[in-house]
This record gives sequence, structure tokens and C-alpha cells, in this order.
Amino acid sequence: MNYSALFQQLLPEVILVVTALAVLATALAIEGRGKPAPLSVISSITCLGLLLAGASLILFPATGEAATPMIALDPLARLFKGVVIALGLLAVLLPPAKDEIRQPGEFHALLLFAITGLCLTVGTNHLLFLFVALELASLSLYLLAGFPRTARASEASLKYFLFGGVSAAFLLFGLSLIYGFSRAATLPEVATALAADPTSPLAIAGLAMVLAGLGFKLAAAPFHYWAPDVYQGAPATSVALVAAASKAVGLVVLVRFLLVGFHASGGSAAWGGIVSGWSVWLSILAAGSILFGNLLALAQTSVRRLLAYSAVANTGYLLVGLCANGAAAAGAALFYVVVYGLATLGALAVTAAVEREAGDDSVASFAGLVHRSPLQALALLVFMASLAGIPPLAGFVGKFALFSQALAETTVGTVSGITWLVALAAVMSAVSLYYYLQVLKQAFVTDGETAATGIGIGHALAIGVPAVALVVLGLFPSLLLEPVSTAVFVLSDGRVNPL
Amino acid sequence: MLLTLILAPLAGAALLAAWRGAGDRAAGRFAAWWSLIPIVLVALLGFRGANPGGAMAAWSLDWIPDAGIALTFVVDGTSWLFLLLTSLVTTFVLAISLQKGLTSRSYAALILVMETMLLGVFTARHFIPFFLCWEMTLIPAYLLIRLWGGPNAPRAARRFFIVTLGGGVCMLLGFLALQIGVGTMDFGQLAEMASKGDLTKTLATAFAGTALTGPTLLLFVAIAVLLGLAVKIPIVPFHAWLPDAYAEAPTPITILLTGLLSKMGVYGLLRVFLPIFPETFAVLAPWLAALAVATVLLGALAALAQKDLKRILAYSSVNHLGYCVLAAAAVVASQGDRESASSAISGAFLQAFNHGIIASAMFFGIAILESRSGGRRGLDDFGGLRARVPVLCGLMGLAIFASLGLPGLSGFIGEFLVFNGTFGLLPWAAAVSVLGLLFTAVFLLRLIRKVFHGPLGEGLSTWPDLSTAERWLFAPVIALIVIPGLWPQVLLRFLNADTLRLLDFLKP
Amino acid sequence: MTPAWTLLSAFAGALLVLLLPARSAALSRVIALAAATIGALAAGAGCLAKLAHPDAAPWSFDRDWIPSLGARLHLQADGLSLALLLLTGLVAIAGILFSWNIDKRQRAFFSLFLTIIGGVYGVFLSRDAFLLFVCYEVVILPKYLLIAIWGSTRKEYGAMKLTMYSIGASALILVGLAAAYAAAGGTSFDLQHLAAADYSPGFQAWAFPVLFLGFAVLAGVWPFHTWAPTGHVAAPTAASMLLAGVVMKLGAFGALCVAMPIFPEGFAQWRGVIAGLAVMGVLYGAFTALSQKDLKFVIGYSSVSHMGFVLLGLAAATHWGLRGAALQMISHGVIAGLLFGIAGRVVYARTHTRDLAELRSFDLWRTLPGAAVAFTLATAASMGLPGFSGFVAEISVAIGLWESFPLLLIPLILGIVITGAFSLRALQKAFFPVRGETDAKPPKLPPLTWPELTAIVLLLAVSLAIGIYPKPWLVLIDDGLASPLFQSILP
Repeated sequence: MNYSALFQQLLPEVILVVTALAVLATALAIEGRGKPAPLSVISSITCLGLLLAGASLILFPATGEAATPMIALDPLARLFKGVVIALGLLAVLLPPAKDEIRQPGEFHALLLFAITGLCLTVGTNHLLFLFVALELASLSLYLLAGFPRTARASEASLKYFLFGGVSAAFLLFGLSLIYGFSRAATLPEVATALAADPTSPLAIAGLAMVLAGLGFKLAAAPFHYWAPDVYQGAPATSVALVAAASKAVGLVVLVRFLLVGFHASGGSAAWGGIVSGWSVWLSILAAGSILFGNLLALAQTSVRRLLAYSAVANTGYLLVGLCANGAAAAGAALFYVVVYGLATLGALAVTAAVEREAGDDSVASFAGLVHRSPLQALALLVFMASLAGIPPLAGFVGKFALFSQALAETTVGTVSGITWLVALAAVMSAVSLYYYLQVLKQAFVTDGETAATGIGIGHALAIGVPAVALVVLGLFPSLLLEPVSTAVFVLSDGRVNPL
Repeated sequence: MLLTLILAPLAGAALLAAWRGAGDRAAGRFAAWWSLIPIVLVALLGFRGANPGGAMAAWSLDWIPDAGIALTFVVDGTSWLFLLLTSLVTTFVLAISLQKGLTSRSYAALILVMETMLLGVFTARHFIPFFLCWEMTLIPAYLLIRLWGGPNAPRAARRFFIVTLGGGVCMLLGFLALQIGVGTMDFGQLAEMASKGDLTKTLATAFAGTALTGPTLLLFVAIAVLLGLAVKIPIVPFHAWLPDAYAEAPTPITILLTGLLSKMGVYGLLRVFLPIFPETFAVLAPWLAALAVATVLLGALAALAQKDLKRILAYSSVNHLGYCVLAAAAVVASQGDRESASSAISGAFLQAFNHGIIASAMFFGIAILESRSGGRRGLDDFGGLRARVPVLCGLMGLAIFASLGLPGLSGFIGEFLVFNGTFGLLPWAAAVSVLGLLFTAVFLLRLIRKVFHGPLGEGLSTWPDLSTAERWLFAPVIALIVIPGLWPQVLLRFLNADTLRLLDFLKP
Repeated sequence: MTPAWTLLSAFAGALLVLLLPARSAALSRVIALAAATIGALAAGAGCLAKLAHPDAAPWSFDRDWIPSLGARLHLQADGLSLALLLLTGLVAIAGILFSWNIDKRQRAFFSLFLTIIGGVYGVFLSRDAFLLFVCYEVVILPKYLLIAIWGSTRKEYGAMKLTMYSIGASALILVGLAAAYAAAGGTSFDLQHLAAADYSPGFQAWAFPVLFLGFAVLAGVWPFHTWAPTGHVAAPTAASMLLAGVVMKLGAFGALCVAMPIFPEGFAQWRGVIAGLAVMGVLYGAFTALSQKDLKFVIGYSSVSHMGFVLLGLAAATHWGLRGAALQMISHGVIAGLLFGIAGRVVYARTHTRDLAELRSFDLWRTLPGAAVAFTLATAASMGLPGFSGFVAEISVAIGLWESFPLLLIPLILGIVITGAFSLRALQKAFFPVRGETDAKPPKLPPLTWPELTAIVLLLAVSLAIGIYPKPWLVLIDDGLASPLFQSILP
């Protein structure tokens, strides 16, 4: 193995790990003098590390042959490493609640490990390495969720861990079945084996287990039970990472599995033209997530729980894109997951600001936000509108591209494709506007507390950057949509739905 | 010149609207003087005379060119007569309103708006401008009745409005059917086609899908149009709105309603309906004649049963306009008796004109009675007035006798010509209608007896006779009753050429 | 001055107003008025140019936008678009004038107002279905906020109902458009491309009603009209004017220019149903308006009734019918704007009630004669009396209907008569009440202000201009209807 090439190809991850160690060392050094390490110093180092990792990604792109079959050097990997780092950076900027994080050193080191794990996950086609990377991220995230010493956080962490553990078991079992079927450790090889025997029960059972495992990562119904508690109990930074980065990574893994590995056994979920295959299962997961997420979100009074159910619903939309089993729809889904991540992260950031003022995250706490801080209110408008899919924001373009491409990929000649699923998604997406509007109504219409304390610059960036990004991506979606689509096309050799 | 004539009253109304802070009397005086402009213009037109085609003036503007719709206005002899009536009665109404102290800025402006619309109706030669002006009289009339009328005026005004609007919509749809079927709503072109028998054919081709024959289709269209006209005239049984509206409106407005608005219906029936639907009309004629007779008789009988002077005259108006309808029905039944037909048509036009003048005079008289008695106008509220106010009674009596059709007064010529023509064409209808004449005589004479004769009523002994102003107001009206009565040619010369042209269209 | 100035001025104005410092908030109305005026002038200039050179190529703008989706920034201004742009500009000016003395959160108000205007301009100009849909949806949140913040009478309920109907309808549009896009090959959203594609009849049979209904809900089609009266009543005056006057037209425009041309065969299968619903709308709106107690509700239901005429014209699908539908859009835009402006601003701001029974004590005819005259004329226009724009539109629709569904004319007559009845009822109750001797003397009300008067005269003049001389408007509309898009619909 060529270690220098490997070092160069995994430079961002290396930088992240080094930063994590540096953070730990700094924290230890400061704490050794008897006082807790200041959060500002620690998070500055973290940010610096993330920025360096991002810069290395741009300045020193991984080239040539992969140094080991464990890593993949396709454009998708590079793109989503960037996305993960960017989202991670924004998440770090979110301030913790008072006394939430007593040991900033450990917290940020775990954060960096989690981001490292996520980066490694998007950059592999190797079954085993995938599992390891994913578990690195997951274990860090379990701890991050339970970091505050509160009952709520502990409950969240425990739930997350228990569900996560089970899902990891599923995933591992599934992976081993697939390996057993194909005698291959990487997804392209699995595809080759599958081409010879597309209906092998072993492979299908393996895929089903993998789907269940990834469904947990993505918070798809019925694997979503951990989400509301984690969203509500965990620190804002952890939630942001779980909601935005982890979901994006889960989707990338799913895309790799389905489009690269199991493209041949997709089947079809089209109404009246069902062909057995994973897209049928996926369509049921999607429909369930969309219905569950949206309907339960309607009843929430806590904005964080509301965002959790909205996350479930949005997973449903993403799965619609994958159901089509085509590169264009998958590209749209990947675009949407980024846009969704930005919007959710921004919404969490505004929620964090409101929590500092009002003490809790109930919808009523948002009352009069526009008088307290017009800019925060405006940003909230952007986030919620983007989540609801209102133009000219990126969420709209994402949903529209997702739905229309999913239909286009599954429509063959005069047979229309998964119209039923798209229609359900579109209608429920309209319903979602109702609960987003409840928050906006408080912020803009209802009168409330008007005295305001300012927010820090980092926090302001965590609100402002996603807001601007959503507007810019809404007006010029090609900036992201084109590279993502190209990446998926390269990944899947421009495969379209085989039907 | 024609456009100036039509728009002159509207301009006056606009000036009034813009004249903030005008006093009520000043506004009324302004409007009355302003309304002389149309009279002068009409008179000028009259002196200028007609070109060989019969037109005295014309103006046109493309409206929807690809459908051949244009705002076309033409004055010919018949139109001119109605223009004269309109301009005279409007001025008269404005003057007596001023004299009664009724005017205000908006009141005068509404009357002027209405005048413009009436002038438009009487000159329009295409359905669209005709209908435009026709419907635009509604709002001013409605407001005038409602705002300045008696205690039940809102209800009466509303009913007037809705019923007339409904009629208007029917008429509109009828003409739209023609637009679709034969591609035009121009009165001249339609009459041309009708006289050649093309109308039914084209209509049948256009609506081949409906599996109805041309004549049946045309019958539907004709009935729709007739509904709109019948409501306005009104013909029994579409007259229910009229007595309330006439009685509740302030008296000058009643004059406007009966003297001018009802003439729109008559004019439409004779000038529009008759030439366009001659064949269909021939089918309808017996029914229409029967309705006309019913209108004549029921109008007279209902008048007999009334106690309120205004209601009596309201029903009397129904009765008098029934003769015009009768004449129209008779003409289409003519089968070539040109002389009788021309007599009937001229008679109908004259009857319409004269009724306008005579009704103005009679209602003016009632207005005077009403103002002297403090609002009472029951048949039994007066008595023996002849001795007390001889000039008023004399002039009113003259008008009533004119209305009765006393030879030598204007009412006679119209009715004479109508009966002269109708007897030759529809003898049975004419014969029955004569009964109407009789009843008319009865209720009018009863009115004279109860009001002018007998013992002097209570509280009437202090009544002054007509003031100078009132005499001056009566003078032109009485002149217009007497002069044409003695010298009918003064009006008939305007009608003759047009009547013959109209008959040419009717030739089977 | 190209038609692009309409869009630019509106959005630039919205941004500018939003960025104003708090101390110069009073400037926002001036900026808004200037932006709206520029928009109206640009549209007017476009109309005049079109009339002067009817054969000149229309202004258009076509750039790549989202290549992977096949969406383009494709704008084009044919006669129909220009006429509707002009309508929007005029209603916008009037709306701003009627909101001249608004004092609550001025900057936000005018910014949202201009955003809606910009979105509307965008829809009328778009020739790309995706772009059209974007502009169509842009107006949703501003609508909600305008009503919920500045509204009255159950404003939050009205705003939410309106928004949920709008977004629900948008979901249908999304499904319909996505289906059409997919079936047409998934390469382009260009309207011409979508209209030229070959769809199977079975596909059109379900895709058309989905797409059409999505647009028709915003046009107030019965029985999905209930958002309109509540929303219009709850909205602040300028927003009611805009909603009823222009935004409802978006639905009709979308139905005409998107749903019908894309799925002509589906349309042919469903047009009978559409005509039936439209007639129901005309009748239901009119009858319901007859029993309303709130002046704005009367106008709200009358909008439903009038929009029924637009749908009827569309269902007729003859040249006259489409023409009538387009004219009715313009006509109703002006008239509804005027009625809402007078009832919502001129009257309500002075009397603080819109209850027909309570208005009696104000004797508005004597205390506010200007408003009474204006409302009377507006009512006449709304009834479709000749001389006003509504008449030309209604006869065109009636001719179209006569060519396609002659039997429907019978209920239509009833509808027109009931329209006369409810208009008259509202007019007399609100402005010409019957007052006895014993009634208290009505309070003195301030006379019309100059901005109000200007707005009233502006809108009335347009309605009269169309009613008395419709030719130029028809030329413009015909120019739009000559587009190849409509050839598959017309017989």
C-alpha cells in the first residue's frame, strides 16, 4: 500500500483527527491549571481545523488511483466531504445553552471524530470500511447527544444508543449476508455478482437489513422513534450534526448501495405496474415517513420536536427520489438533502437564539420575534419557507426537481410512474406549510416580548450563512445541482431506470 | 353635431359633479338652462332636414371590428321626433323640479345623465349602443325613484330595477344569438336580411346542431327580445312594477318615467323589433294583439278602480301605450294593405309622442295639486276646484281631454290614425279596444267631476290659482297639445318618409 | 422601456423598501408608488407599442437557468400578457394609493405588497412552466403575512385558510406539471414543448383535471372557493384589492395558458364538468352574496360569481369564450379592486364598520357622497351594465357559451339577474339607507382624500374605457390568443 498516496487522499480526515487531538491536548493543558477550558478557545481551534480540512479538500483534491480499495475517490465523495465539513462548521458555531457543556474539550473532540467518521463514510464503496466509518460517527454522536448532564439529554442519548445499536446490528448482519452472497467486499463487485443472479434471496435479505439499518440513520418511519427525543434533549450543535450532516451521509450511503450495488434489482413501484424489487419497499418507507412525519408534526408545540417530525417527513421525500432508481432523481435527492440540512440547521440556530431569550423552545416563545430581532425573524422565514418548499428558496427547487425527476425517471412511454407517491408527497408537503406557518405566525403576527439581547458573531453566522445560501441556491440552483448531478452520473455510469 | 347633442347633457352632469359646493337651487337652475342646449341642437337638426337616405346626422365608431360591432348613431325623422320629445320633457322636468324645490346637484345630474342615454337609445342603429344606453337609464332612474320618492320608494325602485334588468338580459341574449347566428347586430343589416328572408336561413344553418328549424329559432330569439321591450312599455302581464314606481316616484320623475322611459319600449318595438322580426312577428301578432287589447282594457279598468290620482294616471299610461302595441300588431298582420299599415304606424309614433306631452301636462297638474294640498292626492280629497282655481282646472282639463282623444287636440290624431289603421287590419281587436276608449273616458271624466266639480273640498278655499311661473311652465306644453291637434302635418312630415321605408321592409 | 421593467421595478422596490432605515419609513409609500408606476408605465408602453406595431415580434428573454432540469428563464410579452401586466400595474397603483395612510409597519407592508406584484408580473410573463410556477408560489407567503398582520375580522383564520388552499392547489399543480414533464420526456419545462408533446388520452384524462383544478382553486372555482370570501374580507384593503383583482387571475391565467394547452384532449373530456362548476359558481356566489351582512363579504362572494364567468369562458373554448374570459379577468380585476377599495378603505376607515345594518346610521349618501357615487358606478360595472367593462366581457362569454353550451345560458340569465339583485341590495343598504325622521343625525365624516379620489378615478376610468371602447383591449387579447399554444383548444 502506498501510504503517502493514502495520506494525500485522506488529507481532510487526517487534519480533522489531528485537530481533535489538538483540542484534547489544549483542553487538558488549560484544565491542568485548575480552571475549565474556555469554550471560545476550544471552538476556535475546532473551526480552524474544519476550515483547514475544507481548504485541503479544495486545494489538494485526491487524484489518481485509490491507494486502497477501501476508499472511493469519485466526485460524489469529494463533494459530500465538503458538505459534511461545511455543515459541521456551521454546527460548531451554534452556542450551547448555559452550563450545557462543561467539558468543551471532550465535546469538540468528539464532534471532530464524528465529522471524521462521516467524511470517511461518504468516501467508501467497501462494505466493511463503511460499517467501521459509520460506527465511528455514530458512537461519537451518541455521546454528543447525551453530553449535558440533564435527564432529558441522558434519555435522548440512551434511546439513540439503543436504537442505534440495534440498527448497527441489522446493518452488520445485512452486510455479511451480502458478502456471503457475492463473495465481494465492494459495491461494484456486488453489482457484478447480482447481475448474474438478480433475485437471490440472500442478497435481497441482506439489502433489506441494510435498508433497515440506514433507515435508522435517516430517521425514516418506522425507525424514527429516537428522533424527537434527541432533537429536544441534545445540545443544539449535536442536533444540527445529526439532522443535517448525518442525514446527508446516510443518503449518500443509500445512493451508493442502491445505484451502484443493487441497481439491477430495483423493480418498480409504479401504480399498476409494480415489479418486485427494493423500490417497492422504499416507496412504502417513503410513504410512511411522509404521512407519519407530517401528521405528527401538526400536533407539536415544541419547535425542536416539530423539526424532528419534519425530519422524518423530509426523509420520506428523499426516499421518493431514490425510489426512481435513476441518477437524475438521486441527484435531485442529494441536492435536496443539502438544502434541507441548511434549512434545518438554520432553524435550529434561530431556535437556539429564542431559547436563550425565552428559556424554552415552545412555539409560543417565538411570539414577537420580528420586534426583537427583525433579521432573525427574516432568516426564520427563509428557513421555514424553504422547508415548506416555497420559492424562490432552494427548498422549493429541491422538492420540485426531486418530484419531477422521480416521475420522469419512472415514466416509460405512456405508462406513468410513481405518480401516487409523488402526489402524496406533494400534498403532504402542502400540509407541512401549516405547521411551519404556526411558527412563523408567532414570529411575525403575534405580539410578544420586545426587549432583545444580541447574539454572538458565530451564532449570527450560523443563522446568516444558511439563509443566504438558501436564497442563492434558490435563485441559482445550478451552482449545486449541476455538480451533484454530474457526480451521481459519474458514480452510476449515467445509469437510468432499467425498466 | 349628433355626438355633441348626445353628450351635451352628460357634459352638464359632469360639470355639476365637479362643481363642489353648488347650492341646490343654483345647481337646478344651471341644469335647467343647460338642458336648453339639446333643444337648440335638436331644432337645428330639424331645420337642416334629411339627406336622401333619410338620415339627418350620423356618427359611428368601431367597437369590436371583427364582429362588425360599431357604435352607430343615426338621426332620421322618427328619431328626431323622439329626440325632440326627450329634450323638451327633460327641460320641463328640470324646470318643474326647480319650481317645486326638489332639485339638488345629484338630482339634476342624474336627470341629465338619463337624457344622454335616452338620446342615445332613440338614435342608435346598432344593438350594442342601443342596449348600452337602454341599460344605462336604469341606475339614474333607480336612484331618482329611491332617493327622492315616497315612503315605499325603495321597494318600488328595487322592483323596477330588477324586472327591467331581467328583461334587458333576455333582450341581450336574443341579440347575441343573432350575432352568433347571422354575424351582425346592426339594425339596418338585420332588417335587410329579414326582408330578404335570409335571417331564418342563416340562423338555421348556424344552429344546425340544435335540430330546430329556422323559424322556430327565430321565434325564440324574437320572444327573448320582445320580453325586454314588453317590460319597458309595459304590456300586460309585465306591468306589475309600474303603478308602484310611478306612484312612489316624485312627480317630476314620474313624468320622466312615463313621458320618456316607456317610450323607449314603444320605439324599440316599432323601430327595432318590427323590421327585424316581421315574419315571426306575424306569427306572434294575434297573441300580441290580444295582449295589447288586454293592456288597453285592463289599464283602463284598473284606472277606474284607483283612488290615488297618480295611480289613475299611471294606469292610464298603460292603457294609452297599449294602443301603440296594438298598432304594431296590426301592421304585421296587414298582408299588404299599405295604406292602413302606414296609418297605424304613423299613429303609433304620434301616439307615443303625444302621450309624452300630455302625460307631462297631467302629471304637472297633479304635482301642483299635491303641493297645494300638502301631499294629498286622493280622488276624494278635492272637489269644486273649478271655481276656486279656474286656470289650473282649465289647463288640466284641456290635457285630460287631449288624453281622451278629443278632436282638435293632439291626442286625437294619434288614436285616430291607430284605429283608422287597425280597423282595416285587425277589426276584432280594434273593436274590443274601442271599449277601452270608453272606459278611459269614464275614469277621466270621473276624475274631472270629482276634482273640479261639486262642493268645494275642505281647506281648499284658500288656494291661490296658478302663479306666473306655473303658467309659463304650462304654456309650451299646452301649445304642443293644441298646435299638432290642429295641424298634425307639423309632426307627420317628419314621419312619412320613414314610415314608408319601414313598410318596405315589411313587404312579404 | 421593456416589459422587464415591470418585474424589475417591483422586486427592486420591495428590496429598497425593506432596506430603508426606520426613521425614513414614511418614504416607503413613495418608493412603492414609484415602483408601481414604473411597472404600469412599462406595461402601458408595451401595450401601446403592440397596438402601434401589431406584427412586431414580441419582447422576449430566454436564458439557461437549471440545465439539469431543463428549466429556463423564458419571459415573453405578447398582447395578452401585456394587457394583464397593465391591469396589475393599475391595481397596484390604486392599492398603494388606498393604503396611503397606513401606519403599522409601513416598510414591511409595502415590501410584501410589491413582492406580490412582482410575482404576479412574473406569472404573466413566464413562458416556462417551472418559472411560472415559481412566480406563482412566490406570492403565497406575502399573502399570508399581509392578511395575518394587517387584516381584520378573523384575520388569522382567513389568512391560514387562504394559504392552505393556495398551497394545496399548488401541490396539485406540481403533480400535474411533473407528470406532464415526465411524460414529455423529462427534458424541458418550456410551455411550447410541453404543449407539443404527445400524451395518451388516458393520461390526459387524469392529468388534466389535476393540473386544471390546481389553478382553478386560485380562480375561486366552486366548490373550492370558500377561501376567497373569508380571505378577502380578512385582508387589509390593498391586499383584498390585489387578491381579488389580480391574484385570482393568476389561477385563471394558469388554467388558460398552462393546463388547457398542455392537455387539450383532457380538457375536451372535462370541459362539460368545468362549465357546470362554473355555472354553479356564478349562481352560488350570487345567491350567497344576496344574504350577506358584511359589505366586504358581498364583494367577496361577488368575486366568486364573477370568476365563474371567466371559467365559463374557458370552458366554452371558442375564440369568443377565451376572449371573454380574458376580458373578464381584466374587467373584474379593475372592478373588484374598486369595490374593495371603497368598501374596505374609504368607508371602513371612516365608519369602522362594514355591517350593512350598522352602516345605515351613517347615511353615507349624504355624509360621504363621493364614495356613494363611486360605489354606485362600481356596482353598475359589477352588474355588467353596458358602458362598463363587465358588459363587454360578459357578452363575449355569453357568445362563447352560446356556441358551446347554449343551454347553460338559462341559469346564466338567473345569475345575472341575481347579481343585479345582490349588488343593488348592498348598494342601497350601505349607501342609500331608508331613514326615518326619528333617526339620530348621522355623524360628520371626513371627505375623500386626494389619494383615494385618484385611485377611484383611475380604476373607474379604466372600466369605462374598456366598456366604451374595447377595441384596443381585444386587439391585445387576440394577439395573445393567436399563439400556437391555443390552437389545439380552439375549434
